Amino acid sequence: MPQSGKIIELRQVLAERFPRELPSPSSLLATGVDCLDRPLEGGLRRGSITQLVAPLPSCGSASLLHELIESMQAASQFVALIDGKNSFELIDPANLLLWIRCDNVSQAIRAADLIIRDGNIVLSILDLKHNEARELRKVPATSWYRLQRVTAEFETTLLLITSYYISGSSIATLQINNSLRITDFSELSSTIPQSRLIDFIYRKNHQVEPQYAQV
Amino acid sequence: MPRSKLFAVVHTPYFRLQCAQQKLLNAEIEFNQQTNLPLFGETKTVHKTGDKIPSALLDDAEIVEVNPAADAAGVSIGITPSLALARAPELQLYSSVAEQEEQQQEALLQLCYRFSPFIENTSPGVCTLDLRGRKDQHQEWWARELLAEWRILGFTAQIGIGPNPELAEQAAKFANPYLAVNANSQLLRSLSLESLQPSHELLDILHNWGIRTLGELVHLPREDIGVRLGLEGLALWDRASGRSTKVLHHMQPPEIFRESIDLEQRLETLEPLLFILRRSLEHLTLRVESVYRLVAEIRLLLLLDNEETLERSLQIPAPTRDVAVLFRVLAQYLETVQTTAPVVGFVLEVFASNPGKHQFDLFQSGLKDPNRFFNTLARLAALVGNNRVGIPEKIATHRPDSVRMQWPAFDWMDKAPTATKSPRIGPALRRYRPPIPARVELISGKPVKIQSQSVNGQINKLAGPWRSSGDWWYTDRWEIQEWDIELTQGGLYRLTLSAGSWSITGGYD
Repeated sequence: MPQSGKIIELRQVLAERFPRELPSPSSLLATGVDCLDRPLEGGLRRGSITQLVAPLPSCGSASLLHELIESMQAASQFVALIDGKNSFELIDPANLLLWIRCDNVSQAIRAADLIIRDGNIVLSILDLKHNEARELRKVPATSWYRLQRVTAEFETTLLLITSYYISGSSIATLQINNSLRITDFSELSSTIPQSRLIDFIYRKNHQVEPQYAQV
Repeated sequence: MPRSKLFAVVHTPYFRLQCAQQKLLNAEIEFNQQTNLPLFGETKTVHKTGDKIPSALLDDAEIVEVNPAADAAGVSIGITPSLALARAPELQLYSSVAEQEEQQQEALLQLCYRFSPFIENTSPGVCTLDLRGRKDQHQEWWARELLAEWRILGFTAQIGIGPNPELAEQAAKFANPYLAVNANSQLLRSLSLESLQPSHELLDILHNWGIRTLGELVHLPREDIGVRLGLEGLALWDRASGRSTKVLHHMQPPEIFRESIDLEQRLETLEPLLFILRRSLEHLTLRVESVYRLVAEIRLLLLLDNEETLERSLQIPAPTRDVAVLFRVLAQYLETVQTTAPVVGFVLEVFASNPGKHQFDLFQSGLKDPNRFFNTLARLAALVGNNRVGIPEKIATHRPDSVRMQWPAFDWMDKAPTATKSPRIGPALRRYRPPIPARVELISGKPVKIQSQSVNGQINKLAGPWRSSGDWWYTDRWEIQEWDIELTQGGLYRLTLSAGSWSITGGYD
């Protein structure tokens, strides 16, 4: 539904009068992956959910996931991957990766809840890209909200990967917009995520209106 | 100027009786838990009453130990139970529990060892400490601390400090609960000669002289004693005056931290068992703490009513003395246990280890709470399955999707991150588990169209085939042909031909 011009104008006035505070560097988790850190002004926000929407079947989200895990490993940081459809393909050994292979969304959300409450893992990735849309829609909004509250309480960082925008509890939602081609098989794996066109589709306290991606 | 020697003796009066009372206390707790009576108020009442009402220990059909209340009621050691009950009708009789006595004596030695490395296992309930090396201005502080810890384990004791072990022991018997004496102490002077346990001949001679107390003995000139009574008389005079000391048989307490309890009632529910286990765990942890160690492993042996046993060792990922953490590990295990019969007893043993050493580099960080983490892992394993959570590890084979899950080792947090790999080519794969069966149209041996449950369409571009095989020397040999395909409507997939069937094994993403 289009927003009226007055509301947009009011928001602009408020934004000018009360400029937002930049997050302190300590509240950001620098992932070392440029295509994520750059738009997020330094990294993923600690104590929050950041969502990455990968609407196309082949748009480089798995490549970005591998890049992210490798980067965190290089920085000696523990990562938990909650794999909603058991689809992760291990390429290189990863000593500091905890892989939780789930069968469905419900199991994955419960596993994420346990991992976040544990408070030991720096970055948790909840990968629901391969889970079907109808399965995701069954998850009540309260579950996402509770996940967001737990993330905030335990000051961990959660990256949620889905095929469409679902969570109203994330602090920012990025979307990968371009598709992979067979010519990308000749590219270096590390350059694939960098060549993705990543845009915000939602950002808390910003002028980006939610745009619902197509499944 | 050399420091004068100082000894302390921890004296637990009617020790064996207290051990038997401890056993009864456990039974009371267990009963209260089963009948849901108000626990703390009830057990306190029982314990206080136990101190006040006459109690005696029965062994081999005669009274062997009495408490002060029983003593005041005329119950003396050596009489028969019927005579004792005739003198004090409200007398409570306990039978001796040898195993409990042994365990509690070990606990006493372990507690004392914390305060002095030179200790002697003098007798049941009595431990002598050589205080050389202790430079405390106020011995009373640590003495009261020791008594408080011994009290937590359920025992009332007294401490005496003196210039030699015998005098310290005599002081301990009169202490309330702490008494420090020197050789000139009036109390010691008034003690009888028997307190130093001289030989009967020597005692008879001294009694004939009219010498009955230590004070009277030390008033006699030492040289004259030597001339008349020889070396034995001199040694007695020196001990009475605090000049010499008997040789202590130093020992190191065994590092065995074990409590075994035979329950009065058969336990069919978890709650009362957990309560008693927690109490035992608190005792054991206190003993481990006294030797400056941490609990690294818990062993629990459940004794069942049908004479079967159930034993389990539980490793503690990050050794700790936190009772709450240890209890959580124990409770979590017991919640998953189903026994074939009610529990009638248990043996709980903890194994001590030294505090772990963790040296991280500048940018490496460990887990904040490893015990909590391994607890979470157990919960995750219960949620998704044992082999579906862990650290992924590649198996040394070319067979696709050959990964095994390793349960993180206890030193997982210390492991160096994986070394940087050589650059890879191409996008990453998301694997379909299981693969999606597909129908494929071929032209000149190359796929041109694909049809499946979820992926359909004309193939725009493709690369392949990539052939691989292996394990031909086994019965489960494998041989596959893989194609990378791009559909007209978009989407990169891996198409696999294996044993004559096509399937989509994953999508590039």
